[in-house]
Amino acid sequence: MSGGRASAGDTAAPTGERAAPPPKPPEEPAVCGHCGDRFADDRLLALHRGRAHREALTDAEVEAYREARTEERDDVRLFRVKALGLLLLIYFGFIYVYAFVL
Amino acid sequence: MTRRRRLVVAAVGLLAAAVAPAAAHGAGLSGAADRSLSVPTWLFLTTGGGVIGASFLLASFVTDRSFIRRVHGWRRGGLRPARAAHWLGRAVGLGGLAAVLVAGLVGPREATRNAAVLTVWVGWWSGYTMTTYLVGNSWPAVDPWRTLAAPLPSLDVDYPDRLDAWPSVAALLGLVWLEVVSPVADRPRFLAGVVAAYGVVTLAGAVVFGADVWFRRVDPVARLFRYFGRMAPLHYDDGIRLRLPGVGLDEPRLVTSRAEVAFVVAVLWVTTFDGLVATPLWRDAAVTVVEAGVPPGLLYPAALVAGYAAVCGVYALAVRYSKRAARTYLPADVLARRFAPPLLAIAAGYHLAHFLGYFLELAPALATAAIAPLSPPEPVALVLPGWFGGIELAGVLLGHLLAIWVAHAAAYDVFPGKLQAVRSQYGITVAMVCYTMASLWIVSQPYAVPPYVT
Repeated sequence: MSGGRASAGDTAAPTGERAAPPPKPPEEPAVCGHCGDRFADDRLLALHRGRAHREALTDAEVEAYREARTEERDDVRLFRVKALGLLLLIYFGFIYVYAFVL
Repeated sequence: MTRRRRLVVAAVGLLAAAVAPAAAHGAGLSGAADRSLSVPTWLFLTTGGGVIGASFLLASFVTDRSFIRRVHGWRRGGLRPARAAHWLGRAVGLGGLAAVLVAGLVGPREATRNAAVLTVWVGWWSGYTMTTYLVGNSWPAVDPWRTLAAPLPSLDVDYPDRLDAWPSVAALLGLVWLEVVSPVADRPRFLAGVVAAYGVVTLAGAVVFGADVWFRRVDPVARLFRYFGRMAPLHYDDGIRLRLPGVGLDEPRLVTSRAEVAFVVAVLWVTTFDGLVATPLWRDAAVTVVEAGVPPGLLYPAALVAGYAAVCGVYALAVRYSKRAARTYLPADVLARRFAPPLLAIAAGYHLAHFLGYFLELAPALATAAIAPLSPPEPVALVLPGWFGGIELAGVLLGHLLAIWVAHAAAYDVFPGKLQAVRSQYGITVAMVCYTMASLWIVSQPYAVPPYVT
């Protein structure tokens, strides 16, 4: 882990900072050809390229970005359903407990 | 809370003959919990935690990056303050300082009638601090020590970089320790001495390292107000501009080192510690520990530091979990810096909950003492209606909601994947839920005078 204030550039487009592998890293990190940042899988890399290097993308990278966005949209939709379910569970759980206790 | 709460108990106690005894209970949220005793404590705590968890889920529904950017980038205004405003700020600061020193040294000895005690605790630490996060940070213009330091010569000694913000962390913890164990809110002479000593250290530091370096890097009060000011709607950016409350907390440049993260965590911890030492649990534990042979003088500093280390540990754990859940190659330190500022919203929420009632109750006493500092009339205290505890609880919850939102926005800025950003918040949300429950437990406890303090 790099400490200190030298690494203040943790904005949307960090440069060369993503060098600390997460626990259980993939065998081969996906490395961004534009800035050298590393990612756990190709989809995150494609999303990163689309956001951080939009101007410099090749046609293949644009296509990969589009695909990654579509996949992500499906996942987000599924996540929302789950989150809604959990919210309802919390809501009715509390109503039930309050009705029981008071 | 401890010392100052005793002050309010004393002031409101004067009215106790006239009003219901319940009103003498004092400031803070303990009153709120008394009123809602029909809800068992465990359910009260779980509900608080549930609200935080639910708001995290609600925030995670907002996945539109451009919407988040628009909300956070919204600005209005650009008014340049008139020259007169600078002078007014300085005059208010210097006038306040002079009043505190004079009234502290020669004013009446009863704390509730002394203008120094009321100015520092009611006017400044309660009321003024609220303006720094609710309105905007005007402290650089008001700070009397900065005004006094400006014309002094400077030795311009290089500030050692490795010290970073650590002196402010130590000073903040030290000031809170002093506030808990010493009679700073009971004895005006002592308070004036503490203020003067703080001034001597500040001016000496400003002379040695240069005023700019001192107030930017070392002075704990300036740092605290600067951080609180980041969540305020008004800010200075080539003119006074308006933004939505809290959005300034998501800027990456706010916290840029491990020491500054430590300072933010310290701000959060001291608000909790202040309340913790006034609970019956602390009282029992302290008595047990001291009877077992631990010197009482060691008790408070040890608890302050140990608790601080524990809170730091929990935050480090939450960040580590965040890194694992997001599967990112970003170092944990970077995440710690990015997710620390939202904690300031929580600290501000607790400050509001602790001090809004206290401020309103004692504001009349402050006004009367300010009119005639050397021979004030009998203090008057406002008795707040029963529903006021609800407003204080709302302060706690609003602070957390703002923190959840800002952390959500920061995660979206840091991570390329939307679900990755949401996952990165799991650990931090769990920590916040636990923290809410612990804090609500503290404020639901009846007030117990902290043992072994003078």
